[in-house]
Amino acid sequence: MPIADRLTARKAIIERVRGLGRKVVAVLPFHYPRALLRAYRLHPIEVWGPPNVPRDKGSQHFQAYTCDIVLKATSFLLRGGMDPVDAILVPHTCDALQGMASVTADFLKPRQPVLTLYLPRGCRDSDRAFLIAELRRLAGCCAEISGHKPNEADWAEAFAAEEAADRALASLYQRRPRLALSDRDFYTAVRSREFLTAEDFGELAASLPEGDPPADGVGLMLSGIVAEPLELFDRINEMGAHVVADDLACGYRRVYPPAAESDPFARIAAQLLACPPDPTRGSPIEQRVAALRSRMRESGAQGLLIYDVKFCEPELFDIPLLRKHLAAAGLPVLHVEFEMGMTVSRQVLTRIEAFVETLQ
Amino acid sequence: MTETTPLSHYVRSSRLDYQLRYELLGKALLRVQRWRDQRKLAGLRPREDSVLNPPLRCVAYMKEMMSRHYLEGRYANGVRKVAWVTSGAPAELLKALDFFLIYPENHAALCGVRRKAESLCEEAEHDGYSRDICSYGRTDIGAMLSGKTPAGRLPRPDLLLCCTNICQTVLYWYRVLAAHFGCPLILIDTPFLYHEAEAHQVAYVQRQLEEMVSVAEQVAGRSFSERSFMQVVDHSRRASELWLEVLNRSRHRPAPMTAFDGFIHMGPIVDMRGDPETTDYYERMLDELDERIRNGVGAIKEERYRVLWDNLPIWYKIGDFSKWLGGHGVNVVASTYTYAWGELSPMIDPSKPFESMARVYLHPILNRSTGHKLSSMQRMVDEFHLDGVILHSDRSCKPYSLGQIDQRDHLVQEMGIPALLLEADHNDPRAYAEEQSTQRLEAFIEMMEARA
Ligand code: SF4
Ligand code: SF4
Repeated sequence: MPIADRLTARKAIIERVRGLGRKVVAVLPFHYPRALLRAYRLHPIEVWGPPNVPRDKGSQHFQAYTCDIVLKATSFLLRGGMDPVDAILVPHTCDALQGMASVTADFLKPRQPVLTLYLPRGCRDSDRAFLIAELRRLAGCCAEISGHKPNEADWAEAFAAEEAADRALASLYQRRPRLALSDRDFYTAVRSREFLTAEDFGELAASLPEGDPPADGVGLMLSGIVAEPLELFDRINEMGAHVVADDLACGYRRVYPPAAESDPFARIAAQLLACPPDPTRGSPIEQRVAALRSRMRESGAQGLLIYDVKFCEPELFDIPLLRKHLAAAGLPVLHVEFEMGMTVSRQVLTRIEAFVETLQ
Repeated sequence: MTETTPLSHYVRSSRLDYQLRYELLGKALLRVQRWRDQRKLAGLRPREDSVLNPPLRCVAYMKEMMSRHYLEGRYANGVRKVAWVTSGAPAELLKALDFFLIYPENHAALCGVRRKAESLCEEAEHDGYSRDICSYGRTDIGAMLSGKTPAGRLPRPDLLLCCTNICQTVLYWYRVLAAHFGCPLILIDTPFLYHEAEAHQVAYVQRQLEEMVSVAEQVAGRSFSERSFMQVVDHSRRASELWLEVLNRSRHRPAPMTAFDGFIHMGPIVDMRGDPETTDYYERMLDELDERIRNGVGAIKEERYRVLWDNLPIWYKIGDFSKWLGGHGVNVVASTYTYAWGELSPMIDPSKPFESMARVYLHPILNRSTGHKLSSMQRMVDEFHLDGVILHSDRSCKPYSLGQIDQRDHLVQEMGIPALLLEADHNDPRAYAEEQSTQRLEAFIEMMEARA
């Protein structure tokens, strides 16, 4: 059975978590403190577009040179897609999401409060101290929404659950070569973390069968913000290639290492700051090159496919240097941009196909 | 991983070269050029066939200052330590350590005004930089890769200082510079202010300012003196105050200068704030504006409509716009962009240099909410007695542009004034459609006429 058919629909999840006494927060991409939300009895449901929503209403507030994540998420909000949630959290991922958070709070004024989180762009002591204070500020907003202030036991429970789910995600990536899953199923499973509870995600991840992986052929590493639509994976497989690793914001960039700090805010800050190199967090290009090179070598990826949402500036600046340094290491790079929709454009597919052919 | 290109166009000068070519010959030649310009400007009378009154005479001084700055840059490597800094960066700290500063954004604007930006953008695009990234970034990366610049030659940086209070773009851009030049990059990260600044946000910026001192000292090879810092901060405050006064003179009717003049005359406040000569310059400019006000001389001959400009200028069109709009009786008297370097002057307190600079560098308009920008525009509409607003929807500057559609709608609905969203790009002329823009501007003027 395809993984997608095993997943509970978002609506049902919202009802279920409400039954557990939690409120629901729509969360925009992409780093945020899951354990904090849980301790404050909030459940995140992430919004990455969605691809099937038209841009129309978003285009009434943002120019055509805005990325689809912002255009579509705004449309989704204005079409009532976020009506069932109690709050909207917009992490400060980039200038575009900054604009969206600000316009939403100042002009669109939805019924729900708009929460923000500024993610510092460095990993210095000052960044850590700021992030801890910023998380405390966010916690104050969360307490207002849920009416709950966590005690020690709540924090312990939240960390136990969310860190177990984080470990489950990390282990999915480790087990990838042994999982008998198509690329589409693998990424459906990875991305179910965007809306499932930590327990359900852990259960799903543990249940995934090992055996001979169905995909074969040229190994690709996929980089970018989000690989939409999932049809992309099927098309890649049809070309005789498969995705052996990723550097996606909706994927590996959120494999957070465990942290041991006793203060809950310090612990969350440590985890968020230790995420893999990520252009939206301003990681030095050298770090990205080194990380990509070593992960491509480990996974057997023969080429890097950078699959970018059109107008995503954070991703665009690094590309020439990534291309040069990876090519020098014998690792070719293809950069394509896409407009988010229900299908992948012919033009994009042709370019990927030509790239795969050169690698074969 | 450094230097993906040879960058052979960055040369070290000897102290002798610096002394001879810059201190002795260069300065003298520029002074002579300024005298000539002054004589020419003093002799200018309003021309019958021009819609504009003659330019401000002080422009001769500004030309001299800016040319001297870039000339010194040519010979700075090997003599002074060089830092490349973002326009909103806390440059006062580096000035106190005697760094020579280059502002890549200002350099890119210079390329835009001289109509060199397109070919430099193409150099960057040829190297793989997307056409969708900020055209300042593309222009400067193109100049860095090719060595071409209308400034003659730029000095190679020993240090990079990037402050995110204008956008995140500058960080991605400076990461590219750091990878190319292999020099240290200091980041001053300024959390975006959706609301009023909170204590932890100010403390964060202050701590970064304090911590950057040791890195800058190491590169500078000298010790930081709080006394010199306070002096620089004091000059900076005075220059910002004067700049604000300069801009506020356009509240008079007719306005003695246009926002287009402001775009040109902002060079010193961006590039040389903290220098005593910047203060002198704006004092001179203020005197001349007051003289114009006393004599009832406006920047344009017939000021029928007064307009606000939002966002960066369209650098390659400044002259054309100024004439075309002036010919239609439109004076663009104020801009949110030029105001950014003046409106924070009351926050600068030389007796608390670190804390007050932390506040100042957190508060530029670009680091504040879209609602705050709307309130600023509404306030300016009242204070400058404006008839309309042109919002330049700048294709490659997202932080300034996102929010403009709602801002325009609110200006129209709440203030009842015409507001135009004009599609273009600050430095890339390929994103500008002449005919379409002219039509839209004509319709905008008709709306102001209908309201008059
Ligand atoms: S796609 Fe890029 S520009 Fe758009 S929200 Fe995501 S990170 Fe920001
Ligand atoms: S023009 Fe806009 S995007 Fe470019 S550096 Fe300036 S503020 Fe940033």
